[in-house]
Amino acid sequence: MLHEMAIDRRSVEGGARSQVALGATYEGRDPSLLECMLPLVDYIEVTLETIAEVKDGKIALSEEVMEEIRDIGDAAQIIVHGVGLSIGSHEGWSPTYLDLLDDFTEQVDVAWHSEHLGYTKVDGEHLGIMLAMPKTEEALTMVCERVNAIQDRYRMPFLLENIVHVIPDFPGDYNDAGFLNALTERTGCGLILDVYNLECDAHNHGFDVQAFLQELNKECVRELHVACGVEHNGFLLDVHSQLTRSSTVALAQQVVRQSPNAEVVIYEFMPEAVPGLGYDAIAAQLARLRDAFTG
Amino acid sequence: MDIAAHQRKLLGLIRSTYQAGDSDDAYIQRVATSKDLEEAQRNIFLWRIYVLERTARLTFNLLKRRNLLEAALSSFIERHNISPFRETQAPAFLEEMSSHSDGLIAAVAQFELALSKVREGDMGRYAVQWNVEPHGILNSLAKDLPLEEDAPEGIYQILVSYDLPHQFRIVTLLPEVH
Repeated sequence: MLHEMAIDRRSVEGGARSQVALGATYEGRDPSLLECMLPLVDYIEVTLETIAEVKDGKIALSEEVMEEIRDIGDAAQIIVHGVGLSIGSHEGWSPTYLDLLDDFTEQVDVAWHSEHLGYTKVDGEHLGIMLAMPKTEEALTMVCERVNAIQDRYRMPFLLENIVHVIPDFPGDYNDAGFLNALTERTGCGLILDVYNLECDAHNHGFDVQAFLQELNKECVRELHVACGVEHNGFLLDVHSQLTRSSTVALAQQVVRQSPNAEVVIYEFMPEAVPGLGYDAIAAQLARLRDAFTG
Repeated sequence: MDIAAHQRKLLGLIRSTYQAGDSDDAYIQRVATSKDLEEAQRNIFLWRIYVLERTARLTFNLLKRRNLLEAALSSFIERHNISPFRETQAPAFLEEMSSHSDGLIAAVAQFELALSKVREGDMGRYAVQWNVEPHGILNSLAKDLPLEEDAPEGIYQILVSYDLPHQFRIVTLLPEVH
């Protein structure tokens, strides 16, 4: 079980747990950043699409970045977080992504892997953004079949993440929590709860986060994401360009207390944000999160 | 509900290639007129900005200096099937900008594309024609500084190849024309 790996990091006080491990995204080609993060994190989250490059007309993992990741060794556990599987595309997922995952898992020990519950392409045409699934029975059946196939293919835990709703929600058969509950019940997969995405949905669409959390089966939550983007025209955008807000950390702390199997909180930021944020600010952010979540 | 049809219509709305009409269901009509759709498109734009600012720096900075960035990027997003694999985005963008109607933008994009290919192991040799002296322009773009007002005109060529120091050399074919 996933939670057995980090059980020694936790403290249980009156049944409410407040401590989990800490992780951060790393997308390669910035060894100074990795050096400043490693003493502060327990997990490094790798997104395969961002460490891939085109070689002889084919998309493949960057050897340079793979060497960096292999060199992490025991300094942190590695988890893989995809953005390009497109598990919800009507025509099927991206085989290119799974080829990369095959290659990666042959070279590196991975604690678990995950994807977003959504789709990024339609008939091979890329949306340029990720859209949430319509929460219908038909969509649920389709996604469950694919989750089961992935779990059969990779003998390691697989998690799905709630994504931000960038367009109005389709009036389906389930609400958000009900869809996730049915998905985890039918497949046994775990969940990543991105609490910044919940905040975006609350800000942009009046989403009731507390009602969602009340209904969600939080035993399935294994990982949390915290991040921060920018506000534009009154919309909170899911771009990982900023340091986290205190409200995001507070919400993540609440979810951790309520989720008995949560393992890790990951601070997500994109490599393009690093020059603007600076190494010192990122390290200070991780130190604050470490205080907030690891005690 | 037909998932395929649903997703195809949303793709069309996001890419501005589909106009919702009376025959569409209420949901598609609602999305088509929503402010959320505009913001989703803005979100896509911002992600492209973040990636290309890093991976196509010279061309990006020149477009920005000429106030052509928004138009160029919007056109690129609308017309191209942009992969989520980030490292594929800059070559596609630079290829598109290589035929820009502004000769300097085209020349900078051709140079930057050739240089990125050679730095990734391409053994080819490339020659890019310029009609202004490239040193000052490239220096300004690399440092994101204002462009020189009166860059000397002439006929120049930038050779790009793996076996050159720094992988490129500027050659003056016909010096400044008065």
